[in-house]
Amino acid sequence: MSDLNIEDVKMNYSAVWILAKREIKAFWRNKARVISSLAQGLLFLFIFSGGFSSLDITIDGVDIESRAFTASGIAAIIILFTGIFGGLGLMRDKMFGFMKELIIAPVSRRTLMFGRTLGIAIQTMVQVTIILGLSIALGFLGYDISLIWRLLLVLPVALLASIGIVGMGLIISTRLRDFQSFGLIQTFIIMPMFWMSGALFAFNNVPDAMQIIMMCNPFTYSVDLFRLVILGVSFFPFWLDLLVMGGFGTIMILIGAWSFNKMEISQ
Amino acid sequence: MTDNIIEVKNLTKIYDEGNVLAVDDISFDIKKGEIFALLGPNGAGKTTTISMLATLLTPTKGDAIVNTYDVKKDPDKVRKSIGIVFQEPSLDIEMKGWENLELHAILYGMSRKNRQVKIKEVLDLVDLEDKADTFVKNYSGGMKRRLEIARGLIHEPKVLFLDEPTLGLDPQTRKKIREKIKELNKGDSNITILITTHYMEEADELADRICIMDHGKIIAMDTSENLKKQLSGDVIEIKFEKVENLLDFPHIIEELSKISGVRNVSLSTTEDQHDIMPNINLPSNMPNITSEMIRARMREVISDPKKMLIAWKRFPIASQMFLDAPLAAKKKIADMFDQKLLEEVPENIKQEIIKIKKGEYKEEEKDFEPALSISCENGGKQLPLIIQSINENNLYIKNVNMHQPTLEDVFLHHVGSAIREESSNRVDGIKKIIQMRQLRK
Repeated sequence: MSDLNIEDVKMNYSAVWILAKREIKAFWRNKARVISSLAQGLLFLFIFSGGFSSLDITIDGVDIESRAFTASGIAAIIILFTGIFGGLGLMRDKMFGFMKELIIAPVSRRTLMFGRTLGIAIQTMVQVTIILGLSIALGFLGYDISLIWRLLLVLPVALLASIGIVGMGLIISTRLRDFQSFGLIQTFIIMPMFWMSGALFAFNNVPDAMQIIMMCNPFTYSVDLFRLVILGVSFFPFWLDLLVMGGFGTIMILIGAWSFNKMEISQ
Repeated sequence: MTDNIIEVKNLTKIYDEGNVLAVDDISFDIKKGEIFALLGPNGAGKTTTISMLATLLTPTKGDAIVNTYDVKKDPDKVRKSIGIVFQEPSLDIEMKGWENLELHAILYGMSRKNRQVKIKEVLDLVDLEDKADTFVKNYSGGMKRRLEIARGLIHEPKVLFLDEPTLGLDPQTRKKIREKIKELNKGDSNITILITTHYMEEADELADRICIMDHGKIIAMDTSENLKKQLSGDVIEIKFEKVENLLDFPHIIEELSKISGVRNVSLSTTEDQHDIMPNINLPSNMPNITSEMIRARMREVISDPKKMLIAWKRFPIASQMFLDAPLAAKKKIADMFDQKLLEEVPENIKQEIIKIKKGEYKEEEKDFEPALSISCENGGKQLPLIIQSINENNLYIKNVNMHQPTLEDVFLHHVGSAIREESSNRVDGIKKIIQMRQLRK
């Protein structure tokens, strides 16, 4: 039995990678998806940075240019959209029967869960880089040599933020039976998490009641950490951001692995 | 350690949704190196049984051991020991053929060198070497099936589950796959194989033992030879000219049963043969497709409203076929659609179904072409008596056919009519009368 165990460890490792690679390949091959996700980012960048440019934003006594504030928020928002919809891609596998092939494989559900999450997380990292690159090129973030290391530092943050979000998308997928519920998810999960994340409004500019709701949204802390890395200012201490993101990610992966186990695929 | 690689005890599965008893307290063992065929009409519980053995479904009750591992306690170890070809497609169509196989090989922990060799080997087996770099979405149906079979063989499992592996394949490929199955089973690999199929000659040729299931229960299990021996004597099939009153049949069957040597009489109708499936013009550019395959596929589609929906949406010819079908067939289909499902139905068909449900059409009397299947000792000697008895009842014989029992006869003997599942309520009613009379004896 011992040699089986060694094989097990080695296999899980390569299984995670092949599953991640599958996600990235599927994304890259679907040119419509690539283009629309880029266009969406650009659209957000122009509309929101234009629309909210009149608001004054002050965090910790530091004045922030609203375009820079919005651009950093939108980079974070990309994670939310790509992450959840990436996770919902599992629905397609369920419907086309490929899920049976995955679920019958002798790898742990956690491996399946993690491989997929990693693939989509890499995908979001690329998109975040592109959005931030565009923001810099458009001068939204000013020109500063420190932007280089800030950009490098933002990638691990994006990875961490993605894990929880993708996990959430995967969990929803294991419960869904058809594509018709997508509208519900858009309305009741994605949109509230989007608007209540502080990506577009400064936390201290909103009424108290809304502040409480925003504090309950785990994604708020990802946006906050993004801003800390890119702009150097944040509402919450960075350790709290990290704690919430890490905790949220872990919980989502664990629940996800559990719902993978519970999922019965009928033929 | 025992010789059994699979041990099933009191296995039961109840689907919560709709409270369906899919598998009803079955027990059987499969020996190492055996080819075991599971036969039964659609909905008999074959796939559910395989799904439980493969750890895709949790049994409601009972135990199953696969390769010494309990499917409930050690699902991961069970998975390592088995390969499976599902009844429904399970390929990633957005990936290339090779990529599908590679992903499988990696998931099953094969080393890079080993998997290169193995993938080439299985692709060669199913004649897809030249399609390895094509996206699966561009494959034909038969090619997809072949790729799935190749995939199930890559990791050389101890037990291979094949759920209707040859359904919809052309005769050459079917033969090739049968040969490979035998080779896998007899060669060094000595894989145990559990196969479900609707092709009787396939089960007859391949299987060491055959298990016939119906309504979630095992109704017969033995070698093909022994099963045929149970039906010793001959099988006489009698087809009739148009019959005005099917209710004559219970009486005739009773009389025939009294003739010495007659063991069993069962009634079937050919009604469904010219049901919703009119003459199908075979596309000339697909020489490998037989009308039998199309019929089999259509029967499968007709029995599942969800599949029908897809067919109607994709193929205009399917909607036309429905509209042109005889009323009885339409009714059967209309019955499968409840209010919720009806929402998704294309408009013209929806209107038709609503009309049928409201009962706007009058039922037209249909012509039945019933047939009797009689198993009888010394058939040749008793045949005149049988024919005489039929003539006395003023029924007109169209043709008579006598032969040694085949596996198909065994199957029909146990399961009843070949098309029982699809037959209309009226024929069912008559069969019930026959059954009741037999029970009373």
